[in-house]
Amino acid sequence: MIELRAVSKTVMSGGDPLVILHPLDLIVPAGQTIAIVGPSGSGKSTLLGLMAGLDEPTTGDIIVDGTEITAMSEDAVARLRGEKIGFVFQFFHLMPSLTALENVMVPIELRGGRDAAERGRALLGEVGLTGRAHHYPSQLSGGEQQRVALARALANDPPILLADEPTGNLDTENGRHVIDLLFAVHDRRDTTLVLVTHDVELAERADVRLHLRDGRIARREEAGRSVAVTG
Amino acid sequence: MLFICRMTLRELRAVWRRLLFFFLCVAIGVGAIAALRSVIQNVRSAIAREARTLTAGDLVLQSNQPLEAGLRDRVVRVLDAADVRGRAESIETATMVRPADPAKAMARMVELEGVDAAYPLYGTVTLAEGHRYTHRLVHGWGALVRPELLVQLGVSVGERIVIGRGTFEIRGLLLSEPGRRLGGFSFGPRVLIDRADLLEIDLLRFGSRARYVTRLRVPDASLARLETQLRDLLRPALVSVRSYRSTEDRIGDRLETSENYLSLVGFVMVVLGGVGVWSVTRVFVRQKLKSVAVLKCLGAASGQILAVYITQVALLAVIGSACGLAMAAIAVPFVPPSAVPDLESIRLGLTWSAALQAGGVGVLTSLLFALVPLLEVRRVKPLLLLRDEAARLSLAVQRPRPMGAGLASPGIARRLANRLQRIDTTQAVVASLVIAALVGLAAWQAGSLRVGAAVSLGFVGVTLTLSAAASLLVRLVQPLASSTWFPLRHAVLAVSRPGNQTRVILLAVGLGTFFILGVRLVEANLLRELAIELQSDAPDMFLIDVQEDQVSPVEAFARKWRLDGGIQLMPVLRARVVGIRGRRLNAGSPEEVRERGGPSREYTVTYRDHLASNERVVAGELWPAQQGSIPDVSIEQNLREDGLELGDLIRFDIAGRVIAARVTSVREVDWSDARNGGFMFVFRPGALAGAPHWYLGVLRAPAHTLARARFQRDLVAAFPNVSAVDVREVLRTLQAIVSNITLAISVVGGLALASGLLILIGAVAMTKFQRLYEAAILKTVGASGRTVATMLAIEYVTLGALAATVGASGACLLSWFVTEQVFDLSWQLLPGLVAGTIVVVAFGVGAVGVAASVDVLRRRPLGVLRAE
Repeated sequence: MIELRAVSKTVMSGGDPLVILHPLDLIVPAGQTIAIVGPSGSGKSTLLGLMAGLDEPTTGDIIVDGTEITAMSEDAVARLRGEKIGFVFQFFHLMPSLTALENVMVPIELRGGRDAAERGRALLGEVGLTGRAHHYPSQLSGGEQQRVALARALANDPPILLADEPTGNLDTENGRHVIDLLFAVHDRRDTTLVLVTHDVELAERADVRLHLRDGRIARREEAGRSVAVTG
Repeated sequence: MLFICRMTLRELRAVWRRLLFFFLCVAIGVGAIAALRSVIQNVRSAIAREARTLTAGDLVLQSNQPLEAGLRDRVVRVLDAADVRGRAESIETATMVRPADPAKAMARMVELEGVDAAYPLYGTVTLAEGHRYTHRLVHGWGALVRPELLVQLGVSVGERIVIGRGTFEIRGLLLSEPGRRLGGFSFGPRVLIDRADLLEIDLLRFGSRARYVTRLRVPDASLARLETQLRDLLRPALVSVRSYRSTEDRIGDRLETSENYLSLVGFVMVVLGGVGVWSVTRVFVRQKLKSVAVLKCLGAASGQILAVYITQVALLAVIGSACGLAMAAIAVPFVPPSAVPDLESIRLGLTWSAALQAGGVGVLTSLLFALVPLLEVRRVKPLLLLRDEAARLSLAVQRPRPMGAGLASPGIARRLANRLQRIDTTQAVVASLVIAALVGLAAWQAGSLRVGAAVSLGFVGVTLTLSAAASLLVRLVQPLASSTWFPLRHAVLAVSRPGNQTRVILLAVGLGTFFILGVRLVEANLLRELAIELQSDAPDMFLIDVQEDQVSPVEAFARKWRLDGGIQLMPVLRARVVGIRGRRLNAGSPEEVRERGGPSREYTVTYRDHLASNERVVAGELWPAQQGSIPDVSIEQNLREDGLELGDLIRFDIAGRVIAARVTSVREVDWSDARNGGFMFVFRPGALAGAPHWYLGVLRAPAHTLARARFQRDLVAAFPNVSAVDVREVLRTLQAIVSNITLAISVVGGLALASGLLILIGAVAMTKFQRLYEAAILKTVGASGRTVATMLAIEYVTLGALAATVGASGACLLSWFVTEQVFDLSWQLLPGLVAGTIVVVAFGVGAVGVAASVDVLRRRPLGVLRAE
């Protein structure tokens, strides 16, 4: 479960404060899938980054799986992330100097896991890339890179999976393949899944859709019913 | 830990090629330190082993004159009372040797040593063909000579040679003997005869340069006491007393100094490598931002990531240092024998202590230089992986945010406050520690905190200058950014865009140029000073020890030979300064005097009523019309540095008689024109008339080899006690010594050059990875390969020219300082060399820049863009 209490984000831009996110409250229950949608610059990725502890909120508290992360040190948040959160990026962000398998092994090794290679191979099998284990990212197609990234995100079997435009950089077919994988994983492992996306088809499959506009939640859609939120 | 090791190895697999150059550079420096230190340590341990053989006795007494009878008796009494187990006396002098066969027109100057039956107390005399030395070989007009003398005189073993008034039979060939001097200057090859014979051949007349040596065998227990006793007793008589230990210590001290200085050169190379490591690490961290962010995103703590990269650097440094040690291990046994002292037990090879020191310096320097830029990884925010945040705020590396930034506080004060607050305390603290550690390393290598600090300060100075030059350059070329010529415009943009390589290249190339050109300039200046050329009309032979009654016969002899310019005979005396202005100078022991170098040593002086052609008076008058009751003396202006001035009263000891003289003029002698010799003290004729003196002859001998040899032989035949110093011979000997020094300098300079080249290639190769992406984009939008190449060439040539100019200015300063202040020689700017270097470096950097970017020019844009 992820809980945000009165979370806001303001940055300095050219000497002036710029509000990216206005104070908002949000609860994502365990096992739920939620899609955050909205135009560019509406604050979607910032919101996702805050949930992952990649950034600190200007105000408010964030509680991830029962742990309040706002007051934690950067390294402590990193450890928590390694344990509880898997992250998938639009641009895959695989480490170019590592093979597919090694990329998947990194989070397991970071936690001191002994069976990293074995688990890494199993995860690559789960995303259908058994034969590509020893290829470097530059030798893989975009779809394949994203599947490796997904396998890496699942490496420590995290209860929470966050994805930032996971299909934004893929063609329709590869995009669908990745979406199918994401939801299959959700179904199999009952993970909490938060997606930032422009992809209507992908957003449609989520339990909840959160529409962001100018740093505020404009609308919340839940399995057929839509609630306008005024903030 | 496992994670750190695995990540280190994986990352290395991808990056080792990029880092290779810098660690090669470290390798060269480490190799240089290890090799130089090893060779000198080899020499030192050989000297320690052979210390007694080198001095040929436990205690050595040495003087230029035989002891007076009274003093001699007292010395004998001291020796009888002490536990002296052996005593050998010998006399050494430089003299002429010629074949007894009058058909052989040759004469050579040799270093003659007359030894008694007790010789040698220690060590062995090595003879050719395995013959054993006994005193019988020299007893009764026998001589042992060096093999080269046979060739020079055209004689063979069994034939006879003439020395002074005696004829000797050559009874063997001398390969080495105890008691010879190491690496010093010698007048000629050694000839060994019986001391008793030497005293009978009429060589040792008044004023002859001879050394009377007494060697003693003394048990270690009583050595120190006897040494002190004899020193006290013999101090006033200018007899040096030295034990084998003090000789070993003295040589050891000198070797240690040279070891430290040479190691410092090696250290400078390692530091150059370190600068490379620093710049490559900086670029490396920037290229690794994403990987670092990903690792953080996946749960890695900053410490873990830092550990991965530090381990990488350490591993490469260890490998680089090991390569350097391997190179040194291979090179050291091949050091030419002429470059090291001729010691029996010398074994050339890498020593453990040198290897450990060099390796330690290599690894430590690499780590220190890598540490500060690596600390940047702590500041990498995983947030940069989220596209719009990163794009909008361009948060490549987040600087710590100043508290309350944006509050309205006016202008400069606010900016300063912000800047201060933005300084990362950890990084600042680490940087200070690193600098302190580097100064420490330099001081350790130099064996002196002062020198270490000076070298570090020099580096900091050049670095700051280059850094300032970089900022200036960026500003200066700004207007060109609006040029309509595409390659120029983009070259300018490349120089000044954010995250540019300007500083790094300037630093690497500038420091490289500074050091290499500095070494070259010093070398060129030294060589110019040492390349002593004989002027066509300059005298090329000196006659020493011409006695008063020989003046007319020698002049007649010269007339008979119709010498160019005749012969000039100058009266000379030995004088020792014992007091100035009434205060007594404590002459001290001869060693102390030599070390102090002050005026109270022995001088060869002359008297005349006129100035020589190579002199001019800079103060006073030569000679004043009014002659006072005190004799007048004229001093050379260098003596002013010892505190002597016009009007001073100087007391001289001349052959036991004390004479006071007043300084009435100061002369400047042109030492490069030796036609009339050079004298520190010239007396007014008259004052010294009664003192015993001999004559120095200056002449130009026949140029033709055969005539020259005959001249020397006839001269020696007619005047056996007179020695002829052939300046041409001496110059040859000097040049051999100089060429050894030159070799050493060239080797060091060559190593520095190699380091500089590696740094340059490394720096350019490093920037290539940034260029690839840009070139791909430029090509995508329609730039041709040639345009991109021109752009690169302009950029690199400009950077090269600027770096070379700043570096060359520093090099001129350095070489001036070293030449004038350290070596005390005159310095000359060599504009050709300096300008040539700048041009070569500028175009070299341009060529290397373009060549290293061939990949950039050739690769298809799509591959590059996809990889990004």
